[in-house]
Amino acid sequence: MSSALLPAAYRHLEPWAQRWALPTQNEREVARRAGSGIELKMFYDALIGEMDGIVGHLNTLDLASLPPAEQRLLYLTLSLAEVAPHVELYRGDPRVPYSFEEERFIAEHGGAAHYLGDLYAIPNRPA
Amino acid sequence: MNKPVTSRWAQQFPQLGTDPVPTEALLSEDYFRREKERLFRRTWLKLARVEELPTPGSWKLKPLPIWDTSIILVRGEDGLIRGFHNTCSHRGNRVIWAEDGHGRDRRFFCHFHGWTYNLKGELVHVPQEDEFFDSFCKGDNGLAPVAVDVWEGFIFAHLDPQPAQGLAEYLGEAAARLSGFPYGEMTAVYAYRTVLDCNWKIAQDAFSEAYHVTTIHAGSFPEGFSAKLYDVQLFGPHRTSAVYMDDKGPTPSPVAALAHKLGTTSIAKRGERVALPPKVNPTRSPNFAFELSVLFPNFLVHIMDGLYFTHQFHPLSVDKTLWEGIQYFRPPQNAGERFSQEYGQVLQRNAWLEDTATMEATHAALKSGAKKVMHLQDQEVLIRHHYQVVDEYVRG
Repeated sequence: MSSALLPAAYRHLEPWAQRWALPTQNEREVARRAGSGIELKMFYDALIGEMDGIVGHLNTLDLASLPPAEQRLLYLTLSLAEVAPHVELYRGDPRVPYSFEEERFIAEHGGAAHYLGDLYAIPNRPA
Repeated sequence: MNKPVTSRWAQQFPQLGTDPVPTEALLSEDYFRREKERLFRRTWLKLARVEELPTPGSWKLKPLPIWDTSIILVRGEDGLIRGFHNTCSHRGNRVIWAEDGHGRDRRFFCHFHGWTYNLKGELVHVPQEDEFFDSFCKGDNGLAPVAVDVWEGFIFAHLDPQPAQGLAEYLGEAAARLSGFPYGEMTAVYAYRTVLDCNWKIAQDAFSEAYHVTTIHAGSFPEGFSAKLYDVQLFGPHRTSAVYMDDKGPTPSPVAALAHKLGTTSIAKRGERVALPPKVNPTRSPNFAFELSVLFPNFLVHIMDGLYFTHQFHPLSVDKTLWEGIQYFRPPQNAGERFSQEYGQVLQRNAWLEDTATMEATHAALKSGAKKVMHLQDQEVLIRHHYQVVDEYVRG
């Protein structure tokens, strides 16, 4: 694996980056559903103790123009947001228990990379 | 023998009665046809946010099967937003060549024979105009308009271009209660949709009470939301109420606690008190979760500290509904706020996956005819009001 995936202080998290540093919500959802409860918990455990440091570092930078390595670090935190309810609330179930078919929920922002909430800037989005 | 129930909302709103609700309103093709003709064609419907049409020429094309049409919303050079049927005045071809979407243009050009309209919907160019007859006048053949008006940045339309009741009068006191919230500053948007095989009221009912929270949201929201509604108000066809949390809840899990520390992005966060209209959470209770409001017929606005979200239920047929759920936050200023939003919006999405889980099976089961009525308890008063108002339109 390339040694430049993540910022120097977070090189030890690079084994997680390949699978979880994903730029879109749709990709993060698919990765979460494809994981086992144990895999989600391992990723969660790897990140949770690092979050204060990661957020402290990223918050010193302009969110809209993060360097690629910091951008991947942000994506790791967004994957933690995606995974955390399954570890903390759903007893390791990689899907939402007692729920509608997730694949039928369309996230209009779900395919947008580097998404910061600017839905109306996405071209050709549905009405 | 059934116990007599001392019933707060039923006493406050005796006009709603306490009888079971017949399921006919959910299943009957004839009832749906009358909803279409007598209700949806005679009320204002929310179609968009003003932020969707940022500059002159910005347009949105919204299909509305309940109106048997698609509506173009467009911002003119004068800044005003207008609405038109997506129908060329010549032989009826669609002017925007799409099912739906957004775009930006200076003119609308029909790709059938080249008729061209400006942003005010005026017909400005007809190829071979001199081949038409005296009965044709360009000035009389603009795009067919609908009425459009804006409340707090929400764009509403009415099928009748000259409706008897304007939007402000239609929304009345409900609008007054919900005005003054910084909707326009919350432009970071997370939008979900799906088509549900159920009647639109089954879908909407599921978001119109708090009785379900402790059961179906036991997974996503163990925080201890009260199953009761507070401060229920009926404003003509519209209605509102407040949802609070119990005094004590479990300690938030680590990532939830971090998300709450980095932002106010979830209905499950306690204690942050910002920017609510004066009549919403009037005592500024730290247990306030959100205001649950229904702007009749099919638009729900939930405002709370730090964010708001909306639901809309577009009937496609008696047993098919397009649901749109949209969450709005302030644009994140740093990575920590972005993370907090992601956690809040993903957890809310999961809760919506729990909400939608019951709807299709409910419709299928009711269609069996096994049950002829639904029993509503006192805390389902908003649903009771909804069926009553729908029925008044349908029979009126």
